[in-house]
Amino acid sequence: MNIIETNNLTHRFSEKEIVLNDIAIQVPEGSIYGFLGPNGAGKTTTLKLILGLLKKQQGTISVFGKPFNENRIEILKNIGSLIEAPSLYAHLTASENLLIWQKVFQCPKERINEVLQIVGLENTGKKKAGKFSLGMKQRLSIAVALLHKPSLLILDEPTNGLDPSGIIEMRQLLIKINQEEKVTIVISSHLLMEIEKLVTHIGIINKGSILFQGTLDELHLKQSSYVVFDTNNLEGTTELMNKHNLSPITLNGQVSLATTDKAIISKINAELVNHNIEVYEISIAKNDLESIFIDLTKN
Amino acid sequence: MNFIHSLQSEWLKTKRSAASWLCIIGGFFIPFIYLIAFLKNQTSINKYPNHIWETHFNELWHNMAIFLLPMGVILASSLITQMEFKNNTWKQLHASPQSYPTIFLSKYSVIFLMTVKFFLFFNIGLILSGLIPCLIVDGALPKEMIPIMAFLKGNVKLFIACMPILAIQYLISLMFKNFLVPVGIGLVGLIGSMIGNSWEYIFLSPYSYCAMQVLPIKRDFNLHVYGLVCFAIISVISYILYIRKKEKG
Repeated sequence: MNIIETNNLTHRFSEKEIVLNDIAIQVPEGSIYGFLGPNGAGKTTTLKLILGLLKKQQGTISVFGKPFNENRIEILKNIGSLIEAPSLYAHLTASENLLIWQKVFQCPKERINEVLQIVGLENTGKKKAGKFSLGMKQRLSIAVALLHKPSLLILDEPTNGLDPSGIIEMRQLLIKINQEEKVTIVISSHLLMEIEKLVTHIGIINKGSILFQGTLDELHLKQSSYVVFDTNNLEGTTELMNKHNLSPITLNGQVSLATTDKAIISKINAELVNHNIEVYEISIAKNDLESIFIDLTKN
Repeated sequence: MNFIHSLQSEWLKTKRSAASWLCIIGGFFIPFIYLIAFLKNQTSINKYPNHIWETHFNELWHNMAIFLLPMGVILASSLITQMEFKNNTWKQLHASPQSYPTIFLSKYSVIFLMTVKFFLFFNIGLILSGLIPCLIVDGALPKEMIPIMAFLKGNVKLFIACMPILAIQYLISLMFKNFLVPVGIGLVGLIGSMIGNSWEYIFLSPYSYCAMQVLPIKRDFNLHVYGLVCFAIISVISYILYIRKKEKG
Protein backbone atom coordinates (compact mmCIF):
# COMPACT_ATOMS: atom_id res chain seq x y z
CA MET A 1 0.00 0.00 0.00
CA ASN A 2 1.17 3.52 -0.76
CA ILE A 3 1.10 5.82 2.26
CA ILE A 4 1.26 8.89 0.04
CA GLU A 5 0.01 9.06 -3.50
CA THR A 6 -0.26 12.15 -5.63
CA ASN A 7 -1.55 12.35 -9.17
CA ASN A 8 -1.34 15.12 -11.71
CA LEU A 9 -0.28 17.55 -8.99
CA THR A 10 0.30 20.90 -10.64
CA HIS A 11 0.89 24.18 -8.87
CA ARG A 12 1.40 27.71 -10.08
CA PHE A 13 2.52 30.75 -8.10
CA SER A 14 1.38 32.91 -11.00
CA GLU A 15 -0.04 32.34 -14.47
CA LYS A 16 3.45 32.11 -15.96
CA GLU A 17 5.30 30.49 -13.09
CA ILE A 18 4.59 26.74 -12.94
CA VAL A 19 6.24 25.41 -9.80
CA LEU A 20 5.02 21.83 -10.04
CA ASN A 21 4.05 20.07 -13.20
CA ASP A 22 2.08 16.83 -13.14
CA ILE A 23 3.74 15.41 -10.04
CA ALA A 24 2.90 11.78 -9.34
CA ILE A 25 4.69 10.31 -6.37
CA GLN A 26 4.07 7.07 -4.55
CA VAL A 27 5.54 6.46 -1.13
CA PRO A 28 5.25 2.79 -0.12
CA GLU A 29 4.35 1.90 3.45
CA GLY A 30 7.37 1.27 5.65
CA SER A 31 9.80 2.89 3.23
CA ILE A 32 12.27 5.70 3.70
CA TYR A 33 11.56 7.82 0.67
CA GLY A 34 14.27 10.27 -0.34
CA PHE A 35 12.86 13.25 -2.18
CA LEU A 36 15.76 14.75 -4.06
CA GLY A 37 16.28 17.79 -6.15
CA PRO A 38 18.35 20.93 -6.39
CA ASN A 39 17.30 24.05 -4.50
CA GLY A 40 14.13 25.50 -6.01
CA ALA A 41 13.16 22.23 -7.71
CA GLY A 42 9.76 22.07 -6.01
CA LYS A 43 10.43 19.74 -3.07
CA THR A 44 9.11 22.03 -0.33
CA THR A 45 6.10 23.04 -2.41
CA THR A 46 5.21 19.36 -2.92
CA LEU A 47 5.58 18.58 0.78
CA LYS A 48 3.59 21.68 1.75
CA LEU A 49 0.79 20.56 -0.58
CA ILE A 50 0.82 17.09 0.97
CA LEU A 51 0.47 18.65 4.44
CA GLY A 52 -2.22 21.07 3.32
CA LEU A 53 -0.05 24.12 3.97
CA LEU A 54 -0.64 25.28 0.41
CA LYS A 55 -4.01 25.35 -1.23
CA LYS A 56 -4.18 22.61 -3.87
CA GLN A 57 -4.85 23.93 -7.37
CA GLN A 58 -4.85 20.83 -9.54
CA GLY A 59 -4.46 17.11 -9.03
CA THR A 60 -5.14 14.64 -6.23
CA ILE A 61 -3.40 13.91 -2.97
CA SER A 62 -4.19 10.90 -0.86
CA VAL A 63 -2.50 9.98 2.39
CA PHE A 64 -3.09 6.65 4.17
CA GLY A 65 -5.35 5.83 1.22
CA LYS A 66 -7.72 8.73 1.90
CA PRO A 67 -8.16 12.02 0.03
CA PHE A 68 -6.36 14.71 2.04
CA ASN A 69 -8.83 17.59 1.91
CA GLU A 70 -11.79 15.53 3.09
CA ASN A 71 -9.82 13.84 5.89
CA ARG A 72 -7.35 16.58 6.88
CA ILE A 73 -7.57 16.29 10.67
CA GLU A 74 -7.69 12.49 10.78
CA ILE A 75 -4.64 12.30 8.48
CA LEU A 76 -2.64 14.94 10.34
CA LYS A 77 -3.12 13.04 13.63
CA ASN A 78 -0.76 10.42 12.22
CA ILE A 79 1.82 12.68 10.60
CA GLY A 80 4.86 14.27 12.17
CA SER A 81 6.48 17.00 10.14
CA LEU A 82 9.42 19.35 9.90
CA ILE A 83 9.21 21.76 7.01
CA GLU A 84 12.28 23.87 6.19
CA ALA A 85 13.70 25.71 9.21
CA PRO A 86 12.86 24.55 12.77
CA SER A 87 9.50 25.76 14.10
CA LEU A 88 10.05 26.44 17.79
CA TYR A 89 8.96 29.00 20.35
CA ALA A 90 12.25 30.70 21.14
CA HIS A 91 11.18 32.01 24.58
CA LEU A 92 10.27 28.55 25.86
CA THR A 93 12.39 25.58 26.95
CA ALA A 94 12.54 22.28 25.07
CA SER A 95 10.01 20.68 27.48
CA GLU A 96 7.66 23.66 27.25
CA ASN A 97 7.78 23.55 23.45
CA LEU A 98 6.83 19.88 23.57
CA LEU A 99 4.12 20.53 26.15
CA ILE A 100 2.37 22.84 23.67
CA TRP A 101 2.11 20.00 21.15
CA GLN A 102 1.29 17.45 23.85
CA LYS A 103 -1.84 19.49 24.56
CA VAL A 104 -2.78 19.50 20.88
CA PHE A 105 -2.11 15.82 20.23
CA GLN A 106 -3.32 14.71 23.66
CA CYS A 107 -0.56 12.15 23.97
CA PRO A 108 0.75 11.02 27.39
CA LYS A 109 2.97 13.58 29.16
CA GLU A 110 5.66 10.90 29.62
CA ARG A 111 6.27 11.09 25.88
CA ILE A 112 7.94 14.48 26.39
CA ASN A 113 10.88 12.95 28.28
CA GLU A 114 10.93 9.95 25.97
CA VAL A 115 11.36 12.01 22.81
CA LEU A 116 13.84 14.33 24.50
CA GLN A 117 15.93 11.26 25.29
CA ILE A 118 15.55 9.93 21.75
CA VAL A 119 17.01 13.14 20.30
CA GLY A 120 19.53 13.59 23.12
CA LEU A 121 18.15 16.82 24.56
CA GLU A 122 17.09 15.52 27.98
CA ASN A 123 19.66 17.66 29.82
CA THR A 124 18.82 21.06 28.37
CA GLY A 125 16.88 22.05 31.51
CA LYS A 126 15.78 25.68 31.59
CA LYS A 127 17.71 26.73 28.51
CA LYS A 128 15.41 28.51 26.07
CA ALA A 129 15.05 27.08 22.57
CA GLY A 130 16.19 30.42 21.17
CA LYS A 131 19.61 29.83 22.75
CA PHE A 132 20.00 26.39 21.16
CA SER A 133 22.48 25.75 18.34
CA LEU A 134 20.96 25.05 14.93
CA GLY A 135 21.67 21.35 15.37
CA MET A 136 19.85 21.30 18.72
CA LYS A 137 16.92 23.17 17.19
CA GLN A 138 16.73 20.60 14.40
CA ARG A 139 16.77 17.79 16.95
CA LEU A 140 14.06 19.44 19.03
CA SER A 141 11.98 19.82 15.87
CA ILE A 142 12.40 16.10 15.24
CA ALA A 143 11.27 15.51 18.83
CA VAL A 144 8.14 17.58 18.14
CA ALA A 145 7.50 15.53 15.01
CA LEU A 146 7.91 12.26 16.92
CA LEU A 147 5.94 13.26 20.02
CA HIS A 148 2.61 11.67 19.11
CA LYS A 149 4.11 8.48 17.64
CA PRO A 150 3.11 9.23 14.04
CA SER A 151 3.07 6.53 11.40
CA LEU A 152 4.39 8.94 8.77
CA LEU A 153 7.22 11.44 9.16
CA ILE A 154 7.67 14.21 6.59
CA LEU A 155 11.04 15.90 6.96
CA ASP A 156 12.10 18.70 4.67
CA GLU A 157 15.89 19.03 4.65
CA PRO A 158 16.25 18.00 8.31
CA THR A 159 20.04 17.86 8.12
CA ASN A 160 20.38 21.54 7.18
CA GLY A 161 22.87 23.13 9.52
CA LEU A 162 24.00 19.87 11.07
CA ASP A 163 27.69 18.97 11.30
CA PRO A 164 28.88 15.61 9.87
CA SER A 165 28.46 13.80 13.18
CA GLY A 166 25.01 15.33 13.57
CA ILE A 167 24.08 14.07 10.10
CA ILE A 168 25.26 10.54 10.99
CA GLU A 169 23.32 10.65 14.29
CA MET A 170 20.20 11.85 12.49
CA ARG A 171 20.59 9.06 9.92
CA GLN A 172 20.92 6.41 12.63
CA LEU A 173 17.93 7.85 14.48
CA LEU A 174 15.73 7.78 11.38
CA ILE A 175 16.76 4.22 10.47
CA LYS A 176 15.96 3.15 14.05
CA ILE A 177 12.54 4.83 13.97
CA ASN A 178 11.78 3.29 10.60
CA GLN A 179 12.84 -0.21 11.57
CA GLU A 180 11.72 -0.39 15.18
CA GLU A 181 8.55 1.65 15.09
CA LYS A 182 7.62 0.96 11.47
CA VAL A 183 7.33 4.63 10.67
CA THR A 184 7.28 5.57 6.99
CA ILE A 185 9.63 8.48 6.38
CA VAL A 186 9.72 11.03 3.58
CA ILE A 187 12.93 13.01 3.69
CA SER A 188 13.89 15.71 1.22
CA SER A 189 17.39 16.83 0.44
CA HIS A 190 19.39 18.47 -2.31
CA LEU A 191 22.39 16.20 -1.65
CA LEU A 192 22.12 12.57 -2.70
CA MET A 193 25.22 11.47 -0.82
CA GLU A 194 23.65 12.75 2.35
CA ILE A 195 20.72 10.36 2.18
CA GLU A 196 21.80 7.51 -0.10
CA LYS A 197 22.81 5.45 2.94
CA LEU A 198 19.41 6.02 4.49
CA VAL A 199 16.71 5.69 1.88
CA THR A 200 15.01 2.66 0.35
CA HIS A 201 13.16 4.62 -2.34
CA ILE A 202 14.02 7.75 -4.25
CA GLY A 203 12.13 10.40 -6.15
CA ILE A 204 14.17 12.94 -8.10
CA ILE A 205 12.54 16.24 -8.95
CA ASN A 206 13.84 19.14 -10.98
CA LYS A 207 12.16 22.28 -12.25
CA GLY A 208 8.83 21.00 -10.96
CA SER A 209 8.88 17.63 -12.74
CA ILE A 210 9.66 14.15 -11.47
CA LEU A 211 12.68 12.76 -13.34
CA PHE A 212 13.04 9.45 -11.59
CA GLN A 213 11.09 7.46 -9.07
CA GLY A 214 11.85 3.99 -7.80
CA THR A 215 13.93 1.97 -5.42
CA LEU A 216 17.56 2.69 -4.71
CA ASP A 217 18.46 -0.51 -6.60
CA GLU A 218 16.62 0.73 -9.69
CA LEU A 219 18.64 3.91 -9.54
CA HIS A 220 21.84 1.88 -9.28
CA LEU A 221 20.93 0.16 -12.56
CA LYS A 222 21.29 3.53 -14.24
CA GLN A 223 24.94 3.57 -13.31
CA SER A 224 27.32 3.15 -16.23
CA SER A 225 30.71 1.44 -15.91
CA TYR A 226 34.04 2.45 -17.43
CA VAL A 227 37.66 1.34 -17.33
CA VAL A 228 40.54 3.43 -16.02
CA PHE A 229 44.15 3.06 -17.26
CA ASP A 230 46.95 4.34 -15.07
CA THR A 231 50.18 4.54 -17.16
CA ASN A 232 53.47 6.46 -17.28
CA ASN A 233 52.59 8.13 -20.61
CA LEU A 234 49.27 9.91 -20.73
CA GLU A 235 49.67 11.29 -24.26
CA GLY A 236 50.87 8.02 -25.76
CA THR A 237 47.98 6.15 -24.14
CA THR A 238 45.29 8.49 -25.49
CA GLU A 239 46.93 8.55 -28.95
CA LEU A 240 46.89 4.77 -29.10
CA MET A 241 43.25 4.62 -28.04
CA ASN A 242 42.30 7.23 -30.62
CA LYS A 243 43.91 5.08 -33.31
CA HIS A 244 41.40 2.37 -32.39
CA ASN A 245 38.51 4.82 -32.73
CA LEU A 246 37.88 4.76 -29.00
CA SER A 247 37.03 7.95 -27.11
CA PRO A 248 39.38 8.22 -24.15
CA ILE A 249 38.87 10.84 -21.45
CA THR A 250 41.82 12.05 -19.40
CA LEU A 251 41.13 12.90 -15.80
CA ASN A 252 43.43 13.23 -12.79
CA GLY A 253 46.44 11.85 -14.71
CA GLN A 254 44.53 8.75 -15.77
CA VAL A 255 42.77 7.71 -18.97
CA SER A 256 39.18 6.47 -18.89
CA LEU A 257 37.31 4.52 -21.54
CA ALA A 258 33.55 4.08 -21.61
CA THR A 259 33.70 0.30 -21.98
CA THR A 260 34.01 -2.85 -19.92
CA ASP A 261 34.61 -5.13 -22.92
CA LYS A 262 37.40 -7.48 -21.78
CA ALA A 263 38.69 -8.08 -25.32
CA ILE A 264 39.19 -4.36 -25.93
CA ILE A 265 40.83 -3.85 -22.54
CA SER A 266 43.21 -6.75 -23.16
CA LYS A 267 44.06 -5.54 -26.68
CA ILE A 268 44.79 -2.00 -25.50
CA ASN A 269 46.90 -3.32 -22.64
CA ALA A 270 48.97 -5.47 -25.03
CA GLU A 271 49.55 -2.54 -27.39
CA LEU A 272 50.54 -0.22 -24.56
CA VAL A 273 53.17 -2.74 -23.46
CA ASN A 274 54.37 -3.18 -27.09
CA HIS A 275 54.81 0.60 -27.28
CA ASN A 276 56.92 0.54 -24.13
CA ILE A 277 54.28 2.31 -22.08
CA GLU A 278 54.30 1.10 -18.51
CA VAL A 279 50.85 0.12 -17.24
CA TYR A 280 50.54 0.53 -13.47
CA GLU A 281 46.89 -0.25 -13.02
CA ILE A 282 43.72 -1.10 -14.96
CA SER A 283 40.52 -0.82 -12.98
CA ILE A 284 36.78 -0.88 -13.58
CA ALA A 285 34.88 2.08 -12.09
CA LYS A 286 31.24 3.11 -11.82
CA ASN A 287 29.58 6.49 -11.89
CA ASP A 288 28.60 7.36 -8.37
CA LEU A 289 24.97 8.10 -7.61
CA GLU A 290 25.78 11.76 -7.19
CA SER A 291 26.87 12.05 -10.83
CA ILE A 292 23.70 10.25 -12.00
CA PHE A 293 21.70 12.72 -9.97
CA ILE A 294 23.62 15.62 -11.48
CA ASP A 295 23.21 14.18 -14.99
CA LEU A 296 19.47 13.71 -14.48
CA THR A 297 18.94 17.20 -13.12
CA LYS A 298 21.19 18.79 -15.77
CA ASN A 299 19.20 17.23 -18.59
CA MET B 1 -12.82 19.33 23.82
CA ASN B 2 -10.54 20.07 20.88
CA PHE B 3 -11.06 23.77 21.36
CA ILE B 4 -10.11 23.54 25.05
CA HIS B 5 -6.90 21.66 24.19
CA SER B 6 -6.04 24.19 21.52
CA LEU B 7 -6.74 27.02 23.93
CA GLN B 8 -4.50 25.42 26.54
CA SER B 9 -1.69 25.09 24.01
CA GLU B 10 -2.14 28.69 22.87
CA TRP B 11 -2.10 29.90 26.48
CA LEU B 12 1.15 28.02 27.14
CA LYS B 13 2.77 29.96 24.33
CA THR B 14 2.22 33.23 26.19
CA LYS B 15 4.38 32.08 29.11
CA ARG B 16 7.29 34.53 29.52
CA SER B 17 6.32 36.13 26.21
CA ALA B 18 6.63 39.85 25.53
CA ALA B 19 2.82 40.12 25.56
CA SER B 20 2.71 38.57 29.00
CA TRP B 21 5.28 41.00 30.42
CA LEU B 22 3.48 43.89 28.75
CA CYS B 23 0.29 42.78 30.47
CA ILE B 24 1.91 42.87 33.93
CA ILE B 25 3.88 46.08 33.45
CA GLY B 26 1.06 47.86 31.59
CA GLY B 27 -1.53 46.77 34.15
CA PHE B 28 0.41 48.01 37.18
CA PHE B 29 2.07 51.08 35.67
CA ILE B 30 -0.55 53.80 36.32
CA PRO B 31 -1.61 52.44 39.75
CA PHE B 32 2.06 52.35 40.75
CA ILE B 33 2.54 56.00 39.72
CA TYR B 34 -0.52 56.94 41.82
CA LEU B 35 0.74 54.92 44.76
CA ILE B 36 4.10 56.70 44.67
CA ALA B 37 2.38 60.08 44.28
CA PHE B 38 0.08 59.42 47.27
CA LEU B 39 2.96 58.30 49.46
CA LYS B 40 5.21 61.17 48.39
CA ASN B 41 2.48 63.72 49.14
CA GLN B 42 1.49 61.90 52.31
CA THR B 43 -2.12 61.69 51.22
CA SER B 44 -4.66 59.03 50.28
CA ILE B 45 -8.04 58.53 48.63
CA ASN B 46 -9.60 59.52 51.94
CA LYS B 47 -8.90 63.13 50.91
CA TYR B 48 -11.79 62.99 48.43
CA PRO B 49 -15.03 64.32 49.94
CA ASN B 50 -17.23 61.41 48.83
CA HIS B 51 -17.41 58.51 46.35
CA ILE B 52 -13.72 58.05 47.03
CA TRP B 53 -13.33 54.78 45.12
CA GLU B 54 -15.32 55.98 42.10
CA THR B 55 -13.20 59.13 41.98
CA HIS B 56 -10.01 57.09 42.22
CA PHE B 57 -11.33 54.63 39.61
CA ASN B 58 -12.26 57.42 37.18
CA GLU B 59 -8.94 59.21 37.59
CA LEU B 60 -6.87 56.12 36.94
CA TRP B 61 -9.01 54.92 34.05
CA HIS B 62 -8.96 58.41 32.57
CA ASN B 63 -5.17 58.26 32.37
CA MET B 64 -5.24 54.70 31.16
CA ALA B 65 -8.00 54.74 28.54
CA ILE B 66 -6.86 57.65 26.41
CA PHE B 67 -3.58 56.17 25.27
CA LEU B 68 -2.15 53.33 27.34
CA LEU B 69 -5.11 50.94 27.16
CA PRO B 70 -5.55 51.07 23.36
CA MET B 71 -1.78 51.00 22.92
CA GLY B 72 -1.53 47.98 25.22
CA VAL B 73 -4.27 46.20 23.27
CA ILE B 74 -2.55 47.05 19.97
CA LEU B 75 0.77 45.68 21.19
CA ALA B 76 -0.59 42.60 22.98
CA SER B 77 -2.80 41.41 20.12
CA SER B 78 -0.04 42.05 17.59
CA LEU B 79 2.63 40.35 19.72
CA ILE B 80 0.55 37.23 20.34
CA THR B 81 -0.37 36.75 16.70
CA GLN B 82 3.05 37.70 15.39
CA MET B 83 4.66 35.13 17.70
CA GLU B 84 3.90 32.51 15.02
CA PHE B 85 5.56 34.53 12.27
CA LYS B 86 8.56 35.38 14.44
CA ASN B 87 9.15 31.76 15.43
CA ASN B 88 8.30 30.38 12.00
CA THR B 89 5.59 28.22 13.59
CA TRP B 90 2.51 28.90 11.47
CA LYS B 91 3.36 25.87 9.34
CA GLN B 92 3.73 23.62 12.38
CA LEU B 93 0.42 24.88 13.72
CA HIS B 94 -1.39 24.31 10.43
CA ALA B 95 0.17 20.86 10.01
CA SER B 96 -1.30 19.81 13.36
CA PRO B 97 -4.69 18.10 13.65
CA GLN B 98 -6.68 21.22 14.49
CA SER B 99 -9.44 22.63 12.34
CA TYR B 100 -8.90 26.12 10.95
CA PRO B 101 -11.81 27.60 12.94
CA THR B 102 -10.31 26.11 16.11
CA ILE B 103 -6.90 27.62 15.40
CA PHE B 104 -8.48 31.00 14.61
CA LEU B 105 -10.72 31.01 17.66
CA SER B 106 -8.23 29.68 20.19
CA LYS B 107 -5.68 32.33 19.28
CA TYR B 108 -8.37 35.01 19.31
CA SER B 109 -9.53 33.77 22.72
CA VAL B 110 -6.02 33.97 24.12
CA ILE B 111 -5.83 37.62 23.09
CA PHE B 112 -9.14 38.16 24.88
CA LEU B 113 -7.92 36.33 27.96
CA MET B 114 -4.73 38.37 27.91
CA THR B 115 -6.80 41.57 27.80
CA VAL B 116 -8.90 40.27 30.70
CA LYS B 117 -5.64 39.56 32.58
CA PHE B 118 -4.52 43.10 31.83
CA PHE B 119 -7.82 44.48 33.22
CA LEU B 120 -7.46 42.22 36.25
CA PHE B 121 -3.93 43.44 37.01
CA PHE B 122 -5.01 47.04 36.52
CA ASN B 123 -7.92 46.62 38.95
CA ILE B 124 -5.72 44.89 41.52
CA GLY B 125 -3.24 47.75 41.15
CA LEU B 126 -6.07 50.28 41.35
CA ILE B 127 -7.37 48.81 44.62
CA LEU B 128 -3.88 48.49 46.12
CA SER B 129 -2.97 52.05 45.13
CA GLY B 130 -6.10 53.18 46.98
CA LEU B 131 -5.72 50.90 49.98
CA ILE B 132 -1.98 51.05 50.77
CA PRO B 133 -1.72 54.88 51.18
CA CYS B 134 -4.77 54.78 53.52
CA LEU B 135 -3.07 52.17 55.69
CA ILE B 136 0.34 53.85 55.67
CA VAL B 137 -0.58 57.54 55.68
CA ASP B 138 -3.88 57.52 57.57
CA GLY B 139 -3.29 54.35 59.55
CA ALA B 140 -6.84 53.33 58.74
CA LEU B 141 -8.96 51.66 56.07
CA PRO B 142 -10.56 53.76 53.32
CA LYS B 143 -13.66 55.48 54.61
CA GLU B 144 -15.90 53.81 52.02
CA MET B 145 -16.35 50.24 50.85
CA ILE B 146 -15.22 49.26 47.36
CA PRO B 147 -18.24 49.58 45.02
CA ILE B 148 -17.71 46.26 43.27
CA MET B 149 -20.71 46.51 40.94
CA ALA B 150 -19.78 50.02 39.80
CA PHE B 151 -16.21 48.83 39.18
CA LEU B 152 -17.46 45.85 37.20
CA LYS B 153 -19.79 47.98 35.12
CA GLY B 154 -17.01 50.46 34.35
CA ASN B 155 -14.65 47.65 33.39
CA VAL B 156 -17.17 46.00 31.08
CA LYS B 157 -17.84 49.31 29.29
CA LEU B 158 -14.13 49.91 28.75
CA PHE B 159 -13.62 46.32 27.66
CA ILE B 160 -16.34 46.68 25.03
CA ALA B 161 -14.76 49.96 23.90
CA CYS B 162 -11.43 48.26 23.21
CA MET B 163 -12.88 45.13 21.54
CA PRO B 164 -12.96 46.64 18.01
CA ILE B 165 -9.27 47.60 18.32
CA LEU B 166 -8.51 44.06 19.35
CA ALA B 167 -10.36 42.72 16.30
CA ILE B 168 -8.65 45.09 13.86
CA GLN B 169 -5.22 44.34 15.25
CA TYR B 170 -5.85 40.59 15.10
CA LEU B 171 -6.93 40.87 11.48
CA ILE B 172 -3.86 42.90 10.46
CA SER B 173 -1.48 40.70 12.47
CA LEU B 174 -2.83 37.58 10.76
CA MET B 175 -2.28 39.07 7.34
CA PHE B 176 1.16 40.68 7.62
CA LYS B 177 4.42 38.98 8.50
CA ASN B 178 6.13 42.21 9.51
CA PHE B 179 5.40 43.17 13.12
CA LEU B 180 5.77 46.87 12.27
CA VAL B 181 2.71 46.79 10.00
CA PRO B 182 0.03 46.05 12.66
CA VAL B 183 1.76 48.21 15.26
CA GLY B 184 2.26 51.05 12.78
CA ILE B 185 -1.35 50.95 11.59
CA GLY B 186 -2.56 50.77 15.18
CA LEU B 187 -0.44 53.72 16.21
CA VAL B 188 -1.57 55.82 13.24
CA GLY B 189 -5.21 54.94 13.99
CA LEU B 190 -4.82 55.80 17.65
CA ILE B 191 -2.95 59.08 17.21
CA GLY B 192 -5.25 60.09 14.35
CA SER B 193 -8.28 59.46 16.57
CA MET B 194 -6.75 61.46 19.41
CA ILE B 195 -6.13 64.42 17.12
CA GLY B 196 -9.55 64.25 15.51
CA ASN B 197 -11.65 63.46 18.58
CA SER B 198 -13.90 66.46 18.00
CA TRP B 199 -14.66 65.50 14.39
CA GLU B 200 -18.33 64.72 13.87
CA TYR B 201 -17.58 61.37 12.19
CA ILE B 202 -15.01 60.23 14.73
CA PHE B 203 -17.30 57.31 15.59
CA LEU B 204 -16.06 55.75 12.35
CA SER B 205 -12.71 55.15 14.01
CA PRO B 206 -12.83 52.33 16.57
CA TYR B 207 -9.51 53.60 17.94
CA SER B 208 -11.41 56.54 19.46
CA TYR B 209 -13.86 54.48 21.56
CA CYS B 210 -11.67 54.01 24.65
CA ALA B 211 -10.99 57.74 24.96
CA MET B 212 -14.67 58.52 24.33
CA GLN B 213 -15.54 56.30 27.26
CA VAL B 214 -13.66 58.53 29.72
CA LEU B 215 -13.62 61.97 28.07
CA PRO B 216 -16.60 64.30 28.28
CA ILE B 217 -17.15 64.25 24.52
CA LYS B 218 -20.68 64.89 23.33
CA ARG B 219 -21.83 61.96 21.20
CA ASP B 220 -25.18 61.11 19.71
CA PHE B 221 -24.58 57.39 19.20
CA ASN B 222 -24.40 54.40 21.50
CA LEU B 223 -20.69 53.76 21.79
CA HIS B 224 -21.12 50.23 23.12
CA VAL B 225 -23.53 49.11 20.42
CA TYR B 226 -21.18 50.58 17.81
CA GLY B 227 -18.25 48.85 19.48
CA LEU B 228 -19.92 45.45 19.51
CA VAL B 229 -21.20 45.72 15.92
CA CYS B 230 -17.80 46.88 14.73
CA PHE B 231 -16.12 44.02 16.59
CA ALA B 232 -18.51 41.44 15.10
CA ILE B 233 -18.06 42.70 11.52
CA ILE B 234 -14.27 42.87 11.71
CA SER B 235 -14.11 39.41 13.32
CA VAL B 236 -16.14 37.88 10.47
CA ILE B 237 -13.94 39.61 7.85
CA SER B 238 -10.87 38.42 9.71
CA TYR B 239 -12.07 34.83 9.70
CA ILE B 240 -12.94 34.89 5.99
CA LEU B 241 -9.53 36.33 5.08
CA TYR B 242 -7.78 33.78 7.29
CA ILE B 243 -9.65 30.82 5.81
CA ARG B 244 -9.06 32.03 2.25
CA LYS B 245 -5.31 32.44 2.73
CA LYS B 246 -3.61 30.39 0.02
CA GLU B 247 -0.46 29.69 1.97
CA LYS B 248 -0.74 28.62 5.57
CA GLY B 249 2.84 28.32 6.61
